[in-house]
Amino acid sequence: MKVAVIGKGGSGKTTTSAIVARTLARTGRDVVALDCDTNPNLGISLGIGDDEAERLMAMRQGLEAGDEEHARGWDVLLDRFGTDAPDGVRLAVVSWIENPEPG
Amino acid sequence: MRVAFVGKGGVGKSMIAGTFARLLARRGEDVLAVDTDPMPGLNFMLGLPVVDIAIPDEAVVEGPPDGDRFVLRPGLDAIGAVEAYAPVGADGVRYLQFGNLRGPVSTQFRSQAAFRQIVRDLPEDRWHLIGDLPGGTRQAMFGWGKFADTVAIVVEPTPKSISTACRLARMREATWAPRELVVVANRVRLATDADDISARTGLRVVAAIPDDPEVSAADRAGLAPLDGAPHSPFVAAVRGLVDQSVPTLAREEVTR
Repeated sequence: MKVAVIGKGGSGKTTTSAIVARTLARTGRDVVALDCDTNPNLGISLGIGDDEAERLMAMRQGLEAGDEEHARGWDVLLDRFGTDAPDGVRLAVVSWIENPEPG
Repeated sequence: MRVAFVGKGGVGKSMIAGTFARLLARRGEDVLAVDTDPMPGLNFMLGLPVVDIAIPDEAVVEGPPDGDRFVLRPGLDAIGAVEAYAPVGADGVRYLQFGNLRGPVSTQFRSQAAFRQIVRDLPEDRWHLIGDLPGGTRQAMFGWGKFADTVAIVVEPTPKSISTACRLARMREATWAPRELVVVANRVRLATDADDISARTGLRVVAAIPDDPEVSAADRAGLAPLDGAPHSPFVAAVRGLVDQSVPTLAREEVTR
């Protein structure tokens, strides 16, 4: 099953996603949570803590900057750029804008 | 003044921006409220229904070879364009919308050019510009708030809102960094909330707007705070922000 959660800002997308992901994981399923928000907060809602959330985004930024070689497949990506969240959910950050555009 | 409200989705940017714009207008000032959200919401705060008012193609012509690709047509300046294309909302606030995703992309280039020119050329000594950016960091970090000399990050006392504000605070490092980058704390419940937000973001909190059930009830009824909860603590706090931002204003509010 692949689910995308969308809606207006502040309506509870991230919180809902986190609860669905963790609830599914508790039934024994393998769950990947993808944060596709340019302002990613899913890590906070999943409960990985602020520091781990920031570390994950910094790693993502390293990929963007070309510091890391691009991985071959989704499983390698999840392994290298994901993190373990509570209840066994695997979280990866897909998109994030760190620096202001100079122009 | 030229101010842009930014922050995480759902923190109350439109509500604060709309109330701020209307209270300024009630003091007799000319105010243009600009909404760059692809899913606009500021119009509701100005008593305007769902508006689909992209600046039309005929407002714009191709620019000179060495200049901008599109410019306002000859004879149409920023004030003229505002008078022609920005509808009048509650309290006389003009409302200019850019960014809805319904039109074709070709039209977007043209209306985007017009939007930028209006925002750039509108005389600062006569018009206040109040901007409402979409939630999150994307547009803000791409410089959509460049027109503002003050950028106000609206922050709720929640971890996600505060971490968003910390990311937005990096605007200070941009070449176009606003002259002032401040925080407006919203839905404040505890006496310590504003200080906590200030400590976490490293920014000055210029207003602490209380969590206000009256305003939530008005919102559910589809009413702007000034229409559904005019005597609420929320409105009082935004009024305080207006007074503090433009100390030279007339004291008396006139409903237009």
